[in-house]
Amino acid sequence: MSRQSLAPQLEFLLQEIEGIRIHRKGPRRVRVDLAAETLPALLELLKGRAGYVHLSAITCVDWMEQEEFELVYHLWSYETRVLVMAHIRLPRDPGVYLSVYDLFKPAAFFERDIHEMFGLYFEGSPDMGKFILTEWEGPPPMRKDFDGEAWVMNHFNWQAYHPDWLKEIEAQGGGITTRPEDVRR
Amino acid sequence: MSDLKQISIHAEGDAGGDPKSEGLFTRVFDELKAFCRSRSLFMLHYCTGCGAIELPPAMTSRFDMERLGIQPMVTPRQADILLVTGYVSIKTLKRIILTYEQMGGPKYVIGICSCTVNGGMYWQSYATAKVLNEYLPVDLYIAGCMPRPEAVITGMRQLMENIRTGKADSWKDYYRRYDHYLGNQQQLFGERWQTPTDVIGEADHYGLAGPETIGPHTALLQQHQVPLQPLEMRLGSRQERKP
Repeated sequence: MSRQSLAPQLEFLLQEIEGIRIHRKGPRRVRVDLAAETLPALLELLKGRAGYVHLSAITCVDWMEQEEFELVYHLWSYETRVLVMAHIRLPRDPGVYLSVYDLFKPAAFFERDIHEMFGLYFEGSPDMGKFILTEWEGPPPMRKDFDGEAWVMNHFNWQAYHPDWLKEIEAQGGGITTRPEDVRR
Repeated sequence: MSDLKQISIHAEGDAGGDPKSEGLFTRVFDELKAFCRSRSLFMLHYCTGCGAIELPPAMTSRFDMERLGIQPMVTPRQADILLVTGYVSIKTLKRIILTYEQMGGPKYVIGICSCTVNGGMYWQSYATAKVLNEYLPVDLYIAGCMPRPEAVITGMRQLMENIRTGKADSWKDYYRRYDHYLGNQQQLFGERWQTPTDVIGEADHYGLAGPETIGPHTALLQQHQVPLQPLEMRLGSRQERKP
């Protein structure tokens, strides 16, 4: 089967999912928007019938104003050579979703990372413990409502670095034009 | 290259007393010892960030650090200089402190890059420790983003000069004011932070234990200190974690 003949077949396959919206972003990139309940069905379909064996990433986007998390599943098939990006939206509260670890083993890695960075819990994931931020006790830091700058101001001291040679350069009109204090305002 | 004026080393002279009161032979011998020490330095480079990329040219034939007597060393226990090259995340800082405490005195710390001075371009980051000399006694900062090998060599020469004249003694400060450094470490790592090294015992051994070696923070340490054991391997382990 040639690659050209497989790409229309993929579109045909995707139509089997209810309420799916397909956007062709390029010759080898397909964006798919669907409801969160239908995502496991889509993944199973793609893995079973189109050779999508590679889950290359799960990314999370925090839409704070809309009270939603967006999860993007990036899937790659070595046969069709088309990247499928499946977008789903979840309510930010309580922030719980199903793990796809049973379908794709690497999902455990991505889900643990998302749980750490966004606080989104994946039911059925093998390990939701601390991952990279083993020393971190604060709120999930990649959430939009986490103010990293305020955290830094409360937890760290600031050390000014303003040596004499820099003062000389500044006297001639050079040097740092925007001081950290101005950035913070 | 520039060493920060803000680094306040609270040293009150050598523990050995006033060198002028001793004999000529002792003074000459001490000077010779300091000179030899400054000319044979083993360097442990803890390459945390991008500044590490300036070290290979500084070490190899173009700038050739070895002509100054500075050689890379593979273990902390045999090293004299701890080179921290770049931003220090809180997780890395733990390892740096463990490494530093394993080194035998006299030992010197050099912070390379702006990030070790005040976080540099990571000043907003929640995960980056900002001021290195709050947690370790830093002898010399080589600022820049990143400093060129010339600056690294100049910094090294300055350190050698400081060692020769006896000015580089901030490692003693770690023992003299251990409570201060431990307090800052506890602020980041929590009250249960402890290292396998018995710093207070070492301070007694070197004769450097002062009034500020022990304080409220070391008292906290002694409350929960457990006997020496290997650090828990956490990455990849699936066992139950204590809260």
